Amino acid sequence: MKLNKYFKKSLWVFHLNTGSCNGCDIEIVAGLTPRYDFERFGIKLVGSPKHADVLLITGPVTEKMAGPARRVYEQTPDPKMVIVVGTCGTSGGVFHNSYILRGSVDKIIPVDVYVPGCPVRPENIINGVLQAWVKLEKLRESMKVAPAK
Amino acid sequence: MFGLLETGSGFWSAIIWVIVVLIIGSIVVYVRNKGEDSYKKDTEQVKPFISGHPEESKEGSHLSASHIYWGFTEALKGYYKPLIEMHTGNINDFSSWIITVTVIVLIIIGVS
Repeated sequence: MKLNKYFKKSLWVFHLNTGSCNGCDIEIVAGLTPRYDFERFGIKLVGSPKHADVLLITGPVTEKMAGPARRVYEQTPDPKMVIVVGTCGTSGGVFHNSYILRGSVDKIIPVDVYVPGCPVRPENIINGVLQAWVKLEKLRESMKVAPAK
Repeated sequence: MFGLLETGSGFWSAIIWVIVVLIIGSIVVYVRNKGEDSYKKDTEQVKPFISGHPEESKEGSHLSASHIYWGFTEALKGYYKPLIEMHTGNINDFSSWIITVTVIVLIIIGVS
């Protein structure tokens, strides 16, 4: 993968927890520490989806978080990518038949990259974000060729 | 009034100030009207982000001025409560309080 082609500008990521046990969230935080350091690639966590290029979602979607998750997705400017981090967000995981869950993230909003694991290691998260980055840049290039009306 | 005022450290002209303010204001209005093109109109993208919650109506999210000192009144509620109960709104009660307090003050002054 030739990363240089796609590293035109930094990637801003909004992290959303839709019902995670915090295991994956801690791994995201671990990714910000000097050992892994997301930010050396220009990947930056932001506090609002309105500033984000990518949504990083952890956890299965609970009944309470289904509405906010959909709203956060709709508030993120286009073009955007959605990454699901962790087995729970990917499939519901061990909680898949819980009465309090709406289900996996892709039942609520469209997902572009899945990063399964329980919890996911920071290297996998970085890999997932880079894959989303490449997809996003390709999407941007295609939008330049055929701008959306 | 609109003339040039010269002082030892410079000059002052109201007309120049008005012109500068108008130029800066025009630039601000121009930038404001350009807006953010990438946001889609009439979607959630133009609404404020409130941690994923829907925006409340302006009436529903109104804070009254008394909220500024809410902590103060809450902390001193024990002292305020009897005072509030005394304020019945009945003019006879207010008059009787004025007379009572005046009598007490006069007695204290007379005794001392």
